[in-house]
Amino acid sequence: MIIRQGLFIGTCVFIAVLIELTLLSRLGIPGATPDLVVVTVVAIAFAMGALQGATAGFAAGVLLDLSPSSDTLVGVNAIIYLIIGFIAGFWVDPRDRTLPIMIGITALSTGAAALGTAIVDTALGGDRVNWAEVPWITLSSALYGVLLSALIIPLVARISRPFLPEISVS
Amino acid sequence: MLSRRTRIILSILVVASLTFVILDLRGGDGPFSSARAAVSSIIGGIQRGAATIFSPITGSSQWWSTQVSQSGQIRELTAENERLNSALVSAENDIVRADQLDALLRVASVGRYRVTPAEVIAVGPAQDFAWTVTIDAGSLDGLEEDMTVINGDGLVGRVLKVYNSTATVVLIVDPESSVGGRVAGSQEIGIVSGTGRQNSLEFQLLDPLGEVNPGDAVVTFGSKGGRPYAPGLPIGEVVDVTGTAGQLARIATVKPFANVSQLSVVGVIVKPPREDPRDSVLPNPPVATATPTPTPSSSNEKETAATPAPSGG
Repeated sequence: MIIRQGLFIGTCVFIAVLIELTLLSRLGIPGATPDLVVVTVVAIAFAMGALQGATAGFAAGVLLDLSPSSDTLVGVNAIIYLIIGFIAGFWVDPRDRTLPIMIGITALSTGAAALGTAIVDTALGGDRVNWAEVPWITLSSALYGVLLSALIIPLVARISRPFLPEISVS
Repeated sequence: MLSRRTRIILSILVVASLTFVILDLRGGDGPFSSARAAVSSIIGGIQRGAATIFSPITGSSQWWSTQVSQSGQIRELTAENERLNSALVSAENDIVRADQLDALLRVASVGRYRVTPAEVIAVGPAQDFAWTVTIDAGSLDGLEEDMTVINGDGLVGRVLKVYNSTATVVLIVDPESSVGGRVAGSQEIGIVSGTGRQNSLEFQLLDPLGEVNPGDAVVTFGSKGGRPYAPGLPIGEVVDVTGTAGQLARIATVKPFANVSQLSVVGVIVKPPREDPRDSVLPNPPVATATPTPTPSSSNEKETAATPAPSGG
C-alpha cells in the first residue's frame, strides 16, 4: 500500500510540475504563474492525509528545484511545500472540511508559497526578489489557486480513491 | 496526536530539505550538478514533446479568438472548419516562426555572429522571482556556459547551465543579470542591469557627466572573448533618465528591444565576430556613427534624430 501510494503521489507531482513549467508559465497570464503544483500538493493532503501531503510537497519541491528553467537553491521549494502539504492535511479535521474551507486553505497555501519563496530567498542572501511586486504576486497566486482548486481537488479526491486504505473515515 | 511513524518521517524530510539548501548554498558545481543533469535530461525530453503539443495554446494568441468565433457555426462545417483552422493556425505559426528566424538571420549576418537557433520550451514560474527559460539546444549542439542568447530584436540573455539537449538561459531582465552597455553613436559606457520587470532595465553610466537622452539606443559593450556577452548587440532604447548631469548616480531606464515574455525562436551565439560590429545591428543604425566629435551637444542632437524608436520587427 505504501509503495502504491508513493507511486501515485510521485506521478501526480511529476505531471503537475511538467504542466506548470511547460504550459501554465508560458501562457503569459498577468501576475504569478498559476501554481498547479501547490494546488496538487494540497489536494493530495486533503485526499490522503497530512503525512502524504508533506511527502508530496517535499517531492514536488525537490523536482521543481532540480528541473531546468529553475535557478533556485535545491531544497527551498521543498521545505516550503512540505510545510504547506502538512498544514493543509492537519489543520481542519477531515469531517469538518466543506468545499469553501478547502478552497480557502488552497488560496492561503498558494499565496503562502509565493510569499514563502520571497522570504526564504531574501533570508538566504539572494537579491532577486523585488518586494514591490511581492504583494501582487502573492494575491494573484492565491486567486489562481482558488480557480485551480475547484478543478484539481475533486479530481485528485476521485483518482486517489483506489490508493487509500480500506478502513477510512468517511 | 501524531503517530510516532509520522513524526519520524516528517523530521527526516525536514532535515533532508534543510541539508539540500545548505549543500547547495556552497555554490560551485556542488553535489547537485549530476542530479540536475539527470532530472533535466528526463524533464527536458518530455518538455520538448509537451511544448510541441501545447504550441497552439502558447504559440499564437489569435488561436483563442478564432476558436471562440467558430463556436456558432453549423455542425456539418465544424469538422472541415477545424481541419482548415488547424492548418491555418499551423501556417500562422510557421509564418511567425519564419519571420522570427528571418529577423534572427538578419542580426546574425549583419553582425557576423555565428548563431545556433533554438526554441524556448519552458519558462521558470514567476514565483521564483528569477527570469530563466529552458531552450531545446544543449552541449550536443555545441552550446557552452556563458554564451550570448539573442533573438531577432536583440539581446535576450546568456546561457547559465548546459545539459545534453537543453540549456537554461538567464534573461537580461533577471535582477541578478548585468550587461556592459554602450550608448549607440556616442561612446558613453555603463552597466545595464535587470530590474525583475519585463519591460525595463536600469542603465547606469560610468561617467557621471556623460550625455544620455530618451530615444538613445543601447548596445552591448562586449566582454573579453565574446563571453558572456558578444559586442554590438542591441539591448534596448532609453525611455527615461533620472538625475542631472554630474550627479553621482545617473540612471537611465531602458526598454529592452526583445519582448522577453513572448520568446519563441532564439539564437545562441556560438562564435562572436572578429570585430565589434559597433552600431550596425540596430534596427535603424544611426547615420553619424562612431566618430567622436569635440562638441558633444550637437552630436547628441544629430543622434536622437537619427535613432527613432524601433518598429517592433
